[in-house]
Amino acid sequence: MMNKNQFLNKLDKSLQRLPYEERKDILHDFQEHFEIGKEQNKSEEEITKSLGNPNQLAKELLATYYLEKVESSSSTANIFRAVWAVIGLGFFNLVIVLAPFVAIVGIILAGWITGGAFTISPLLFLINIIFFPDTFNYLDMFSSIALTGAGLLLIIGMYYVTKWLQNGLIRYLNYNVQLVKGGMKSD
Amino acid sequence: MNVQFKKGALELCVLALLDKQDRYGYELVQKISDQIAISEGSVYPLLRRLKNEEYFTTYLQESSEGPSRKYYKLTSKGREHLHELMEEWERFTSGVNQIIKEGVNDE
Repeated sequence: MMNKNQFLNKLDKSLQRLPYEERKDILHDFQEHFEIGKEQNKSEEEITKSLGNPNQLAKELLATYYLEKVESSSSTANIFRAVWAVIGLGFFNLVIVLAPFVAIVGIILAGWITGGAFTISPLLFLINIIFFPDTFNYLDMFSSIALTGAGLLLIIGMYYVTKWLQNGLIRYLNYNVQLVKGGMKSD
Repeated sequence: MNVQFKKGALELCVLALLDKQDRYGYELVQKISDQIAISEGSVYPLLRRLKNEEYFTTYLQESSEGPSRKYYKLTSKGREHLHELMEEWERFTSGVNQIIKEGVNDE
């Protein structure tokens, strides 16, 4: 059985990664909850018991926070943090979030690398004839120039595909946080 | 009851409770846990999320008995969302009820 301070300390510790202001605001909500509960003659122990596990609560609060951040600025770091926080919610999420995430990262990386390689292929062609001048032929030269065109198109395409996949992923994470078990009592 | 079900419904419960009047966190938690078995703490992450979505705003108000309380007030966006969720809920439950009626109660 935990009392109020033990509960709040545990919660505070699990939320260390959040900015101070955010953490203070969260803890304030729970402090208020304790105070009103005590006015209604409940013991601190009763209140902590019905609040549930502070560690699980912290996980949900972290996921909520990072998902909000990723919506205001979807930098790669923020996306990784949000994915990580949602995965942290439970084993179920490990499966249904990690797998699509790895697939999406794979698609994005493959597209960009292919586009990049196509685009710089005349450079590769030049390097090749510098080292092996006798391998020069026009077919290679023209096809490498054509590949540059294809590569540039692919890069432009990948720009939109990446945006689109990113938004899809964020929506999927939001949907997960809404739906998946976390701090709910099953009876 | 299945936890996934409940978590989806929790959002609807919170918004519905705020439709007619502003309420503070503790009050919302009690109203819900009187009817449904939940871990009471999990209402708070939900409240934060719905506030981020701009479904409600908050303000502090002094109370006669103790420290000031944070009240939640539904925005028009929140009210719109509440009506969407209520419609969905209506369709869903009437579908399930119909299936139960046909599947279980019919001889």
